[in-house]
Amino acid sequence: MSLRETFISNLPWIAGAAIIAGITHLTSILAMPYLAPKDAFARLEPAAPLNKLAVLPQGVPGQTLMPFEDPALVAGVCRYDLNVAPLRLRGALSGDGLLLFSFHNRFGTTFYSMTDKGALRGRLDVLVLTPEQLEAVEAFDPEDELPQELRLVAPTKEGFVLIRSLSPERGNLAEAKARLAQVGCEAEGNR
Amino acid sequence: MSGRKAALEAALATVPDGMAIVGQVTEERVIWKSVLITFAKTLLAAIVGVALGLTATWFAVERGYGFGAVSSGPWTGWPKTGSLEADPYARAVIARTGEVPLGLAEGLSFTARTDETGAELNPNCDYTLSDPIPPARYWTLTAMTPRGALIDNAAGHFGLTSSEIVRDMQGKFQITVSRQARAGNWLPLGDAREFVLVLRLYDTPLSSASSSIGITPMPQLKRGRCT
Repeated sequence: MSLRETFISNLPWIAGAAIIAGITHLTSILAMPYLAPKDAFARLEPAAPLNKLAVLPQGVPGQTLMPFEDPALVAGVCRYDLNVAPLRLRGALSGDGLLLFSFHNRFGTTFYSMTDKGALRGRLDVLVLTPEQLEAVEAFDPEDELPQELRLVAPTKEGFVLIRSLSPERGNLAEAKARLAQVGCEAEGNR
Repeated sequence: MSGRKAALEAALATVPDGMAIVGQVTEERVIWKSVLITFAKTLLAAIVGVALGLTATWFAVERGYGFGAVSSGPWTGWPKTGSLEADPYARAVIARTGEVPLGLAEGLSFTARTDETGAELNPNCDYTLSDPIPPARYWTLTAMTPRGALIDNAAGHFGLTSSEIVRDMQGKFQITVSRQARAGNWLPLGDAREFVLVLRLYDTPLSSASSSIGITPMPQLKRGRCT
């Protein structure tokens, strides 16, 4: 049998192998967020109490919580669990510098991000909640005024908010930490 | 097989019309053989398929963050990775590495693995990074390992920020990336065996126009002396 004949007679199996390869590839890509053992949430969870701002330790070579973090940033994290309560993020932001906010679901995907410029007249007021909780909150809204807070519906019940503060000059981490401390996280009371 | 042969002989001895049975048994053997071969081929196809699929996945998550890469010179960024528009590949990569990419509204991050000419960054060489830089409220430049770890160095600093940069009379700047201490703006490389440069633009108007990044002038990255 020539090589060509062998190839043709085995074509069904070759096609089958290709289809299985495609399915395996797509399945493993789609499943990875659910299976990855060391994703951002898993790395942050031990350092992040629920509904409370925790300042993360500054990375040093060989010991960083997450890869590709900017060493010029001080990071804080608020973990939320909407099964327990919505998360309220509040603070009076003043002074120079840069604060970055990113809101993540359980799998690390960013569902909202903003800088301190997003604070209304220096006041930061964000509520992270589920669609049901949003409905409940809206039911109490006065008819004639717009809500003074930013309401974000989270795609998953669990997740985290990462707040990063830039220290523009080396050795000025204290200032960046102080800016980070202007932000507070808390569980929103029963509504 | 010898057991079957004995059974066959026993059968031949007791049955007068033995030839028909021999024919039947041979046919049965041929069918069994073809079933076995089919089974082996199917198993092989399945194993090869799974192996190929997993290899493709491995390559996909090792090289970048899926689709949506934007490049300008040696700089490549994946702006959509930090948004809900992140594609499944990007989601898989960040789940695996555990990194938290910059949100699109926070800023943009670009990585250079090569210099301007396309030659891989070599820690034994000096590199000069110079104007222009896209508009941003702040920017930082960091040398990291390809896996995103900080590079230890005697000077103990890992990056430069736009506020620290020393500029000339015209407001231009140059940053020297080198193992050895350099005058002016110096980004140390320590003893890294390989490195990448990460440029982060915080609060940049480019975020809302990320499709135009390809034509936005990005910093030049020239190789200098090598040791």
